[in-house]
Amino acid sequence: MRKYWELMKSQIKLDSAYTIWYWSGTASTILRVFVIYAFWSAVYDNRVEITGIPLSTMLTYVVLATLLSNYSAGVGYELANRVRNGEVAIELMRPYDLMHKLVALDLGTKITSSVRNTLPIIILSFIFIGINLPHTWFAGPLSILSAIIGVFIGAQLDMIIGILAFWVFYIWGLRILRNAILLFFSGALLPISLFPDWLQTVSTFLPFQSIVYVPVAIYTGQITGSDIYFSILMQLVWLVVIFGIIRLLWSFALRRVTIFGG
Amino acid sequence: MVNYYPENREYFEMGCSMIEVRGLTKEYTIVKKSPGLRGAVKGLFVRDYTVKRAVDNINFSINQGELVGYIGANGAGKSTTIKMLSGILTPSSGEVKVNGIIPYQERKKNAQTIGAVFGQRTQLFWDIAVRESYHLLKHIYQIPDKQHKETLEMFIEVLNLGPLLATPVRQLSLGQKMRCELAAAFLHNPSIVYLDEPTIGLDVAVKTRIRAFIREMNKLHNTTVLLTTHDMQDIEEICNRIIIIDEGKVLYDGSLASIKERFGQKRVIHFELDLEGEFTLPAALEGKANVIPGEEEGKISLSFSSKEMNAADVISAVLGEYRARDLTIADPKIETIVHEIYERGV
Amino acid sequence: MVRYARLYWEFFKMHIKVMMEYRIDFLIGILSVFLIQGTSIFFVAIVFDHIEALHGWTFYQILFIYGIAQTGRALEFIFFDNLWVLGQNYIRPGQFDRILIRPVNPLFHVLADRVQADGVGQVLMGLIVLITAMVNLPIEWGISELLLLVLMIVSSGAIFMAVNLFFASLSFWIVDSIPIMGAVFTLSDFTRYPMSIYNRSVKFVLTWLIPYGFTAFYPATLFIENSEYTMIGLLSPVVAIISVTIAYQVWKKGLKAFSSTGS
Repeated sequence: MRKYWELMKSQIKLDSAYTIWYWSGTASTILRVFVIYAFWSAVYDNRVEITGIPLSTMLTYVVLATLLSNYSAGVGYELANRVRNGEVAIELMRPYDLMHKLVALDLGTKITSSVRNTLPIIILSFIFIGINLPHTWFAGPLSILSAIIGVFIGAQLDMIIGILAFWVFYIWGLRILRNAILLFFSGALLPISLFPDWLQTVSTFLPFQSIVYVPVAIYTGQITGSDIYFSILMQLVWLVVIFGIIRLLWSFALRRVTIFGG
Repeated sequence: MVNYYPENREYFEMGCSMIEVRGLTKEYTIVKKSPGLRGAVKGLFVRDYTVKRAVDNINFSINQGELVGYIGANGAGKSTTIKMLSGILTPSSGEVKVNGIIPYQERKKNAQTIGAVFGQRTQLFWDIAVRESYHLLKHIYQIPDKQHKETLEMFIEVLNLGPLLATPVRQLSLGQKMRCELAAAFLHNPSIVYLDEPTIGLDVAVKTRIRAFIREMNKLHNTTVLLTTHDMQDIEEICNRIIIIDEGKVLYDGSLASIKERFGQKRVIHFELDLEGEFTLPAALEGKANVIPGEEEGKISLSFSSKEMNAADVISAVLGEYRARDLTIADPKIETIVHEIYERGV
Repeated sequence: MVRYARLYWEFFKMHIKVMMEYRIDFLIGILSVFLIQGTSIFFVAIVFDHIEALHGWTFYQILFIYGIAQTGRALEFIFFDNLWVLGQNYIRPGQFDRILIRPVNPLFHVLADRVQADGVGQVLMGLIVLITAMVNLPIEWGISELLLLVLMIVSSGAIFMAVNLFFASLSFWIVDSIPIMGAVFTLSDFTRYPMSIYNRSVKFVLTWLIPYGFTAFYPATLFIENSEYTMIGLLSPVVAIISVTIAYQVWKKGLKAFSSTGS
């Protein structure tokens, strides 16, 4: 455990060193929040609510969803690169579990960006856009818990893409494909409750809404009461299932490394 | 600096030489960064610069068909010189003319007449088959079809490229890649070729083939070659003249034969001694051997000329006063010669 | 000029050959890009399920703006995408030296080094969106309107390219400007929607500083009646020419800086 902790800390230090990436990333996010604000304000022109959601709740949803969707990527690309250039064989000789190491590095990056990027932007959004506080006092901590599970699900899904690099050469295409699916079905663009009915049904059978929609909807009150606990339970089920799939794929992939040399 | 080529001066003035370099200097300004946040804030307003002279007032001239070894330690200014000769860098001061062209002013025109291999950086196109790379180079350099075909056929034979042509560059081994690189550098029949460490990391068979190829090209087309290397064997087998630089200055410029005459008898013996205190040169070796201190405690190297002494005498003189754990007799290395020249002058 | 056209063709043929070797990957790429563009359209469609107009703009008018931006950006994506990696793939690893010892224009060489075939997916999606909008809008489409539209799309692509070239050239001074390029590129999100929904300072920036407004919205207003804008869209080709000129000057300045520091 200790070594993964150290790996994570080293990643935090590394990320903190790249100031130009930090400022550019923050600027990008602020610009995106700005577009979202202008767009939804225009949507609510002369309108009090859409499907029962008032403007302030909608803005709260889309801003938080945009911020949270920044975390839905993981280290799949890192892994894919290492597979592509053959480093994976070297990594496998080192005294740690490569998957755990990558997760530790990823956590490091995510912790850095939540402190330096997300938190300030949330505060700015409270002040300038007037986003709401959590729906109920209890929804606050539950949505944070749900968001953490969601981030783990996103990171694990990303890992699948990375492992596929053992079989597929052109991982960039798969990544874009994943981005497209995620952007839409995670609820990063708008609440899934606005989807047409058939699409809402499809979405409940997919893991993607656990990544963004569930935590943010708990916060804004689209999901209430005992539905909250059910949704979090579903998130946990998905996490376990995806983790199982990854371990299975990984063991196939390792067999491939040992036979073909990566 | 000793110029063993007094006739060069005439060439220089007549403008007939291939490469002319006069008072060439390249300075870099390096911004000093103070540590910490205060330093960063301070850096926004006041900046401290240090000026580093990578190349310092260099003069030489190279005639067509010469095979010149350009030698120096890492960071001595070799690459910077070559970058100025090939038009990548603009000199801070001084003159440089290649084929009568000032490279940094007419970069494209200069590029048409030069070829280059820059160590590990590839000239070829990474993702595509070698054959396709050569095809593209043909169009980039506007090589006539017939000439391209003939040259390529010859290269395929001399460098044994046949089996490699269909392979993408990224799948080639280091030695295979370097053979393909060389062919790419010579493909448009350039009058000058710059080779930066062309044999680094290669096995003996490939090195031999590469050296033979360079000599062959020189013989066929009278191609001028400027070669940087750390491999003495490269110099011995390819070059007829060497230029040694250190800290941006030319230390030696002359024929290989004469430097070998002066320093070729140089031998070095590395000792690993059980030392108590400082090492002092035994009296018998005073004035005849030179001490090169090693990096670790107890490691000492002695250089001497085999004209004046033989190795056995040196060893027995040292063993007379010290206990040795180990010793090795080394071949004369170009680094040693450079070191020697740097320490004592030519 | 002819020489460069011919040379580009040689590069292009070679890229096609490589793509044919990785056919499956190529298809995945096109499909993915197609889908990710589709999601944005789908998003707008869902929103319009619940409203009739966005600040007075109808669904098809918004699709029309979107279509121009997508198609213009797709042209840029296919042919000029390599600018993104100028720092990462050329300057940082020293590969730019290789470009400089070749007897061709270095910008040409960098651009010719890549053709982004995935952009075909984006062109397809852009055209689908554009044609859907064109059919459903009450505009008479004659030859002159179509030619004007093509001119607008080409200008749009040129503006996208110019902005990228400008910020990519900063790599000559700071080694890798990709994060800055990314942040600036986020601004192009603004162009998907009518500019009238933004406040004055945003409009000013997108019109006169980073002219993304001319990549879709202003050109679109030329074809849409009753918009409060009349002729500003005609400036698009002029803006494109000016932007490309400025960006190329910065590139040349960057080259000069590079040749004096070499880093």
